Amino acid sequence: MIEAEQSVLVNVGIDHVWHYVKDMQRWAGMMPGYRECTIIDANDSRWMLKVGVGGLVRTVKVLVHVEEWDEPERVSFSYKLEGDPVQGAGSYAACRKGPYETEVALRVRVEGSGPMAPMWEAVSRPLLPRLAKSFAEKLKAEIETAVGAHP
Amino acid sequence: MVRNLPANWDIETELVAIGSGIGGLSAAITAHDHGAKALVLERSEQVGGVTALSMGEVWVAGNHHAAELGLEDSVESGFRYLKRLSMGYGNDLAILNKVVHARHALKFFEERIGLKMQVIRNCPDYYYRTTEESVAEGRMLEVVPFAAETLGEWQSKTRLSPQMPYGLTHHDMFERGGVANMMKWDFALMGERLSKDERCLGPGLAAYFVKGVLDRGIPMLTGATAQELISDGERIVGVRMTQDGKDVFVKATRGVVIAASSYERNQDYNKTLGQQLELGSMVFSTIDGANFRLAGPVGARSARVPDITSLGFLVPGEEDEEGKPLWRSALPVIGQPHTIVVNRKGKRFGNEAFYRSFYYTIDIIDGGDQTHPNFPCWVIIDSQVREKYPFGAITPGQDWPEGLGAVADTIGELASTIGIDAKRLEETVAAFNTHAEKGEDPEFGRGRHPWSVWMCGDPFHKPNANLGSLVKPPFYAVELKRMGGTAIPAVGLLTDHHSRVMGWDDKPIAGLYAAGNSVARMETGAVMQSGISNARGMTYGWLAARHATGNPSGLLQEEIKRLGL
Repeated sequence: MIEAEQSVLVNVGIDHVWHYVKDMQRWAGMMPGYRECTIIDANDSRWMLKVGVGGLVRTVKVLVHVEEWDEPERVSFSYKLEGDPVQGAGSYAACRKGPYETEVALRVRVEGSGPMAPMWEAVSRPLLPRLAKSFAEKLKAEIETAVGAHP
Repeated sequence: MVRNLPANWDIETELVAIGSGIGGLSAAITAHDHGAKALVLERSEQVGGVTALSMGEVWVAGNHHAAELGLEDSVESGFRYLKRLSMGYGNDLAILNKVVHARHALKFFEERIGLKMQVIRNCPDYYYRTTEESVAEGRMLEVVPFAAETLGEWQSKTRLSPQMPYGLTHHDMFERGGVANMMKWDFALMGERLSKDERCLGPGLAAYFVKGVLDRGIPMLTGATAQELISDGERIVGVRMTQDGKDVFVKATRGVVIAASSYERNQDYNKTLGQQLELGSMVFSTIDGANFRLAGPVGARSARVPDITSLGFLVPGEEDEEGKPLWRSALPVIGQPHTIVVNRKGKRFGNEAFYRSFYYTIDIIDGGDQTHPNFPCWVIIDSQVREKYPFGAITPGQDWPEGLGAVADTIGELASTIGIDAKRLEETVAAFNTHAEKGEDPEFGRGRHPWSVWMCGDPFHKPNANLGSLVKPPFYAVELKRMGGTAIPAVGLLTDHHSRVMGWDDKPIAGLYAAGNSVARMETGAVMQSGISNARGMTYGWLAARHATGNPSGLLQEEIKRLGL
């Protein structure tokens, strides 16, 4: 199992941040390599992403299930790749730092399964921190643009 | 020779290398270390060229690393081995020239740029045990992992391979049973290397040379397309290139080295030069025959040697960085146990585990009915492969991708699904199985080359690492497509022993050189040996720059005298 954690300070109040992130479609759209997202129900969605690893670009389909919506501070989720023996889980945690400042901590975990589990984790190891960082930066930029960052 | 001097030069240097694979970078580094200013022009946005896509093998007979390990070898032996491979299609002087100089070029780069190489232990020549002068190990070298973070801002601009597991060395892979035994590899080590961006194989080899160029302050211009050679009527004195849509005239007082690889992404050239129909390719789109378009107008002579058509396949959902479908080589797949390749008659037609033999059969023409009897063809595997071995990028435990061939519970059903004769395929599989269980292939001798065992066999599978019966359903069939040989060409520019490009008048074209896959393969002739491409890039780039800077090698003449040739 491998894990990555990334924090980012968003210059927007926590309720506005929540208003933005409660839409799962937006989460998918902030993933690097996003192609499409199908909402299955309130807690389940199917994302299609193009993931680049060392010159190879691979289309992966990810089933995402939200385990818990805990407004406005926490979202827990799990996911599974379709066709690949890879699954994982993660969380979004928001913390009020001021009326117009919210710290968002993202945590994600990858687990391979089956005979090649170590390979999937080895390949994910350099990829995961990059994905988390990119996602966090985009999250900050999009929310601040949409809501209007406090100067 | 045409005179096409510009009114003004935009850049002035002494040696221009066109291409940033090992050939162009070797030339630039050597020129610099012999006191000349150099410049590298790279058409794509990343440097490292096809070298970075390769397995990074470098074949050097009589090298000092082998000698340090006590492995016996010599220039004479290497020469005789390649001469046998050439089957008369090569040129003896070109063969000797390559063998004599590769070991010196290797030492030069190890001493000057910090290139660190090692013998790939237990890696035999292709023809070990079947051709005299072959060796069990010692000639095939690879790099020690390279720390790519030392490339600074060029780290992300130095090419990686989408196909090669560059987080591991050959040693790491093959001490645990090779490609077939991927399940036994040390993935913790791979993960650590990938996280630190420590590069092995081709990406590592290319990165060492990129670092050599950066350390010397040699400019590398990317997105810089060489369009035309500039001549003063007597010699080549520069290049017209385009960058950001503008013409840039680059003066090169000592010479221009064409190291732009070959033409595999140009289907017209594949057909008219290579006599190959519609090829898939593992290389990027700029490998389209620029060497001919640049050197042709100044009278360069080309030469052709026999060539093979490789086989490959596409895995749905995989792309390269240019957004094109990513080709996977069939080479490591089709020689694994429990695997055969059949034609539309349901018959095997060669030794699948030895591609240098098997691939010559792909384009055979039956003049009687105007067909290629062995194309199209299909690789057939059973579920033992799926449980134990990788199939391209598909690993054990992973779902079989939708759209990748056919799946059926019986061989007969499988044949019907792909449209070949069911009875014949059942007979073929039954006959193969009977012999495979005894470790034999009386029809084609599969599994008798030690290199086959090393490359695509399972050394833990007994009694023969390349032979296993197809008995466990479901069965799978994937149609194989024609694919290029990763830019190793049939046709290239003819050069002399200083890497000077020759004209049709059999005289060198002053100021014009070539290296790597831009050069005709007169040192291998009929049959290629893995590791030669990188070696010829390194060696010919080094020779070209030595000559251009007024330091031509005299070693060939010495060897000719010594050997009494």
